Amino acid sequence: MTLEIEQLLHRERLPHIWCAGCGVGIVAGAFLRAVLDLGLKRENTVVVSGIGCSSRAAGYIDLNTVHAIHGRALPVATGIKMARPEFTVIVLTGDGDGAAIGGNHLIHSCRRNIDLTCILFNNQIYGMTGGQFSPTTEPGDIATTAPYGQFEPPFDLCRLAEAAGATFVARGTAANIRQTEKLIKQGIQHCGFSFIEAVVPCPTEYGRRNKPAKAVDMLEAERARSISKTKAARLSPEELRDKIVTGVLYEDTQKPEFQRTYAEVSAGVRAQVGRRFAEEDEK
Amino acid sequence: MEPWHGHLLKERVDQSSLLIQGNRACVLGALDAGVRFYAGYPITPSSEIMEAMAFELPRAGGVFVQMEDEIASICACIGAALTGEVAMTATSGPGFSLMQEAIGYAIMVEAPLVIVNVMRAGPSTGRPTAPSQGDVMQARWGTHGDHPAIVLAASNVADMYRLTMAAVRFALRFRTPVTLLADQVVGQMRESFSEELIGRYRLTSGDFDFTPGYLHPDVAREVRRPHILGSGEHPHVTGLFHDETGFPTNDPEKTDKFLRDLYNKVAHHRDELCLYDVKNEGNGRVCIVAYGSCARSARAAWRLADQEGLSVEILHLYTLFPLPVEIIQKVARRVEFMIIPELNLGQYAHEVRKMAEQWTTVIGMNKTDGTLITPREILDRIAELVGKYESV
Repeated sequence: MTLEIEQLLHRERLPHIWCAGCGVGIVAGAFLRAVLDLGLKRENTVVVSGIGCSSRAAGYIDLNTVHAIHGRALPVATGIKMARPEFTVIVLTGDGDGAAIGGNHLIHSCRRNIDLTCILFNNQIYGMTGGQFSPTTEPGDIATTAPYGQFEPPFDLCRLAEAAGATFVARGTAANIRQTEKLIKQGIQHCGFSFIEAVVPCPTEYGRRNKPAKAVDMLEAERARSISKTKAARLSPEELRDKIVTGVLYEDTQKPEFQRTYAEVSAGVRAQVGRRFAEEDEK
Repeated sequence: MEPWHGHLLKERVDQSSLLIQGNRACVLGALDAGVRFYAGYPITPSSEIMEAMAFELPRAGGVFVQMEDEIASICACIGAALTGEVAMTATSGPGFSLMQEAIGYAIMVEAPLVIVNVMRAGPSTGRPTAPSQGDVMQARWGTHGDHPAIVLAASNVADMYRLTMAAVRFALRFRTPVTLLADQVVGQMRESFSEELIGRYRLTSGDFDFTPGYLHPDVAREVRRPHILGSGEHPHVTGLFHDETGFPTNDPEKTDKFLRDLYNKVAHHRDELCLYDVKNEGNGRVCIVAYGSCARSARAAWRLADQEGLSVEILHLYTLFPLPVEIIQKVARRVEFMIIPELNLGQYAHEVRKMAEQWTTVIGMNKTDGTLITPREILDRIAELVGKYESV
């Protein structure tokens, strides 16, 4: 059965909780279009999210959805994937959920290269709790817990994911949503751990204390700062300072995937034990 | 690695009796009860459970994953449980502390899983290689909010086998996490182990059956139908207050009902959940109420007392929570003293006192130095109490 996008939404749960101008819904929409385009089956598709603005998307999507605890979407997804390898498991998380409280799970999921797709909505702030700084808040910007300007350096999450062992690493923005949708599709199709950072604006909690402040201006600034990987390669670190490098940043199709490797090892051991028992029976 | 007489049937049939470690008997019980998913993180004195699972589960066609910490371990178990698996993890105090938030989530989303806590002495790192019963109240109230808890306590190797099976059964039946408490001594000692030994200690509870694979006949009674991922229902699962559809609700009436139902599905089934054994029933002025490794000393003390012409009663508890109110009050009505030996500062004695002090004097015997309470120590305390009474 071909699904329509409306069929992937719990319409009775709408309107959603996101603020006007929020970028989370834009990327969530791209994710749903990716699910439709890939023809994923509803019964075999599981969405796992943590806690935060982006994680609330799970409550509106009519697939198998798990709204887990703060920071732990990835280990829950790991349990689901290992128990039911035939499922397509997608994790929706944010910069606080996925890179602060859940940071350890992120790097270990990358290292295992388990076949999950992690879409990290990076709005660079804790939106739901009222605008506290996150591990990706830009230096100098104001947050409710950085009233004098953020002085902690931020993570580059894509470099983190690549270094930790993820085999598909990409970055898109809400501003260039067609590109982001394509990256999500590629990520879901990739066998191994796919990490997609989606840069989204939060005008309510980030914009209003910083510049640009308005939703449209934030999106336009995002678009202006975006630069492809190939173009970025020609720029100096100084010139790249304010840029958002987008596209597929890293891909490796050779590294063994975790669940399949486990299944092979397990089948090998069972075959060996079976042979030994058969030999003993003959004796 | 020492030879391990594993689940794989052929090896086991050759052995009518095994000399086996408590932690490994726990694995045997889990496999016999149908556990095919284990996620864990190494920690003394529980690591042998994880090592045996790493060896056995691939052979049994199950899944074993070593996770990055205990939080990830229990979360992976919850993920597996949401697909319909029975999942298990094992840990000790520090890891049990890390798991608490996720235990609350498992209760909230009604995910069946078994958590084995092989207790070590003390808060924090404490003494990893010494026994303790210091996590009893944490097992009851460790996660935040009002919640139900099923907590069992193993006192020997046979218990590690059969109470793990009971834990699996209860987890499936009541769709909630079940904690099995052991301690360093029960987990790491070796004892002979056979079908006969498993059956030797009587458990008193309704119609409990330890046959592998046995399911309680009314497994769905009063427990909500589970939402299983991939079952065709494409459910939504959340730790927010939710109604029977699975979706969040802020409706005061619905949230109140949800919480009370969750609590009562355990509280209203004490008759089925409370496993215990009474020895020397109705004989003697003193009853030793004991669980875990202290119950071993209590049983030995009872035999010693018998030789010395002193009659004592034993109430050996296998289920600590839900509180076995009925049996404790029944015994409290007929004895003058209840002695409760514990390797903590009186955590469970406090619970018993609340239920029993209107009928009897509840006396705690506590040790927190990392050694066991000996039978002689218990007996001396009884003699002292009875003597004191007689001299009055």
